[in-house]
Amino acid sequence: MLVGRCHAWMLVPPPGIEQVTDSPFALPTFDSPPYGEAHVAVYPWEVLVQFPGWKFASSSVAVLALTLTACGGGGSTPPPGNSQETADSVTIAIASDEGTLTPFTNQTGYPGNNLVKLIFDTLAVVQGDEVIGLLAQEIQTEDNQTFTLPLRDGLTWHDGEELTADDVVFSVEFYRDHAEGDSAVDVSMIEDVSADGSTVTMVLDQPDPEFPRMILSDMAILPEHLWADVTKVSEAGTDLAVGSGPYVLEKYDNARGYTLTANPDYALGEVKVDTLKVAIIPEESTQFAALRTGEIDMSTRIVPPQQLDQLQSQANIGIVDGTEYASSLLLFNNGRAPFDDPTVRRAITQAIDTQDLVDTSLLGSGTIGNPGFIHPASPMAAGDTGSAYDLEAANAALDELGAKPGADGIRVLDGKPMSFELLVQSTSTDRLRSAELIREMLREVGIEVKVTSMDSDSLDAKVWPDYDVSQGRNYDMSMWGWSAPVMLSSGLIAQLLYSDPAKGPLNVVGFSDPETDAALDGLTSEETLEGRIDAAADLQTRIAEQAPWVTLYYRDGAYAFRSDTYSGWTWQDGKSALHGFSFVDYDL
Amino acid sequence: MSGVQTSAPGSPVARRGRLTYLGGRIAEYVVVLLVALTLNFLLPRALPGGPLKLFGSPEALARLTAEERAQIATEYGFGDPIWVQFLDYLKSVVTLDLGTSLSDGREVTAAIWDALPWTLLLVGTSIVFTTLIGIALGVIGGLRRREGKGAFTLIGAIVVDSIPQFWLAMLLIVWFGVKWQIAPTFGATGPDGVTITGLAQHLAMPVATLTITGIGYIFMYTRSSMLNVLTSEPVQHAHARGIPRGRLVRRHVLRPALLPVHTLIMLDIGFLAAGAIVVETVFAYPGLGRLTFGAIAARDYPLMQGTFLVLTLMVVLMNLLADLTYPLLDPRARTGASER
Repeated sequence: MLVGRCHAWMLVPPPGIEQVTDSPFALPTFDSPPYGEAHVAVYPWEVLVQFPGWKFASSSVAVLALTLTACGGGGSTPPPGNSQETADSVTIAIASDEGTLTPFTNQTGYPGNNLVKLIFDTLAVVQGDEVIGLLAQEIQTEDNQTFTLPLRDGLTWHDGEELTADDVVFSVEFYRDHAEGDSAVDVSMIEDVSADGSTVTMVLDQPDPEFPRMILSDMAILPEHLWADVTKVSEAGTDLAVGSGPYVLEKYDNARGYTLTANPDYALGEVKVDTLKVAIIPEESTQFAALRTGEIDMSTRIVPPQQLDQLQSQANIGIVDGTEYASSLLLFNNGRAPFDDPTVRRAITQAIDTQDLVDTSLLGSGTIGNPGFIHPASPMAAGDTGSAYDLEAANAALDELGAKPGADGIRVLDGKPMSFELLVQSTSTDRLRSAELIREMLREVGIEVKVTSMDSDSLDAKVWPDYDVSQGRNYDMSMWGWSAPVMLSSGLIAQLLYSDPAKGPLNVVGFSDPETDAALDGLTSEETLEGRIDAAADLQTRIAEQAPWVTLYYRDGAYAFRSDTYSGWTWQDGKSALHGFSFVDYDL
Repeated sequence: MSGVQTSAPGSPVARRGRLTYLGGRIAEYVVVLLVALTLNFLLPRALPGGPLKLFGSPEALARLTAEERAQIATEYGFGDPIWVQFLDYLKSVVTLDLGTSLSDGREVTAAIWDALPWTLLLVGTSIVFTTLIGIALGVIGGLRRREGKGAFTLIGAIVVDSIPQFWLAMLLIVWFGVKWQIAPTFGATGPDGVTITGLAQHLAMPVATLTITGIGYIFMYTRSSMLNVLTSEPVQHAHARGIPRGRLVRRHVLRPALLPVHTLIMLDIGFLAAGAIVVETVFAYPGLGRLTFGAIAARDYPLMQGTFLVLTLMVVLMNLLADLTYPLLDPRARTGASER
């Protein structure tokens, strides 16, 4: 247990693997769970080792005085870089701590899961639009129900142990028993998993053509020899962050984030960046300032559209951009009148000019929403249902419902003025702008909107209390968004719409329509990808008709990096630029 | 009118009086601490949302059955009845075993130990600068109250006191970090580990932010206190007796004028630790403020309770210290004498 100790070696870091030495300034240790060799604590008084006579009491005053003479060079100059395609060291910035970087302890999907996947390899990987084998040499299946996965030769864990088919079997069983954790995978559809030599066979409860993309490409394989005795996964320490991926977790400390070093024995390709440092910088503005000074080489925060031109115009800063599958929606509480009437929902959809939202809120850096929800570039896409914006049709529909404008211009429907509250996350600039624009747009058709901004947790508690749709919901309308994975899987899309909470755990609008339920049954039981795409085409037509929510837009992804340090960043739809292909020349 | 107590300093009566006073004050602090501890326990639970979100992505959490949810809540202690949780919390405070962080599995005590030195360094340094500059300007402002500079300084202090920390921090980053590149924009140490130069460079802008935004308060308090003493009868008498101005200020004005400032500074030390949350977050400084910010964002109850406890203890201890040290500085408090 190393937490709470000082380390003299921190003063002069030796090359290669760092060693741990007790210093005479050691603090008391604590009976905490094993946090692992990679976790160290850094304290300011370590400077005392350099200057034994230094009086701590006077250091505070002297420290700032020194700044005046000392800060002329050093930390603020751009880091030296190698050629652009390889680098000795690259520093990326993330917004918050991601724990010990095991599949059960990272805190966010992006960038947390992306970092975990640099340490833990998966059986398959998505490259472009294809799913190809990674740890598995190939993915063999004839019926999309039985998958045979021969493993590659020479696979090892970071600690030198051999990676075997038994580890894969163990991983499936382990995920089956431990559902919690951000990168934990739902393996409930795997009915049987077995190992024969170096080949793994998985049998599903029903054919699933999306299994390679959704599970095999997402399930981090765990070393059985380290994880077999783990029971409380949320307390997994850095000693368990041992995978078979291109990077080894070398150090995690409270002062400087993470240090990952290239896996010297990586068998699947050549790692292009020797050391990957991950700094934790909560503030977006500070991240971009540090990028401009060269203190970091890449920010994992999406560049706000209004800063894009400014960053692009600076020398040595490049932008890697592409399609993000994350969606921005306007939710209706389908269980609350008048939103229980599809005509009202559709009329509001027709009154919103999504192109205006993209142009104004995103400054053009986005794609207008498909009224049928599914992103036009999604693997499940089957054509666009076109823009729904039609102000005349919206007014006509509301007139036909008998919603006549009152003295104040606000329509009155069934004796009640059409005046609603719209919730929006206070931390999202583009959604705040969009909410204000929607207020103006709906006023045009005689609907009053009162925009209420609040923190994300308060909003979640109203829209999706305890992430359990069976608990109901308490809102009229709300700005919302689903992350990229939801757009990539027909199973997750179905979960947005099923009226039964057990089958529709993501149905935060309380949508209920027996015909749609039947259509979803048809979609999820299709045994081929082509069949599912056809069924998804029917489904998106139904979504456009029923309008359980308004799909406003899909924001484009744009991330800034220092091109003078490293420019090997590649874009992968749904994963942005932080993934193996940005760091490894794979030989698959 | 003269004092109400006539016992000579050091007499048994006076000692008993001081002990009674001390006992009363400590009892008051115990009550304050208990109330604060209760609030520290209740406030995290009053926030919308809960720690469940730490156990997976929303999509994964949505799939959990009621039994699985209950199992997680029970296993990590936030599913027990509220009074059971409260008793556990009080026990953890008494035994100083603050539990395990739900976010990363670290001991809360260890996480606080890691962060506290950085906050003490940051806050300590800024307190020194804030105090020296604030008092110096306050004394000058009080002595030159009738001159143009005095009024100008007062307006300047009010303006500086109104500057939001976040805004000033971003301004410093843009100027000193990006434009002139003379100070690093984030972190506490440089790439070479913990070095004097690295510490100083990384402290510069956070300390400057805390100092600039803290000076106005101390300046105004010092100035006001100076004016009160300068216009008091004893000083006016001394002035009438022809005591030179310099000696008058040194011997008869400064000490009584700085007494209230002493209390203010002691309180500031406690509050600044909490006030460093904004600065530590903007500059990504790995102290207690950032730890608290992260704990609140994650709804990590044990870590929130731990950091709140430290902040509470700092404020209460500084109050107590101010109370105990005041009689050392003020003879009237030592003898119980008061002036009316």
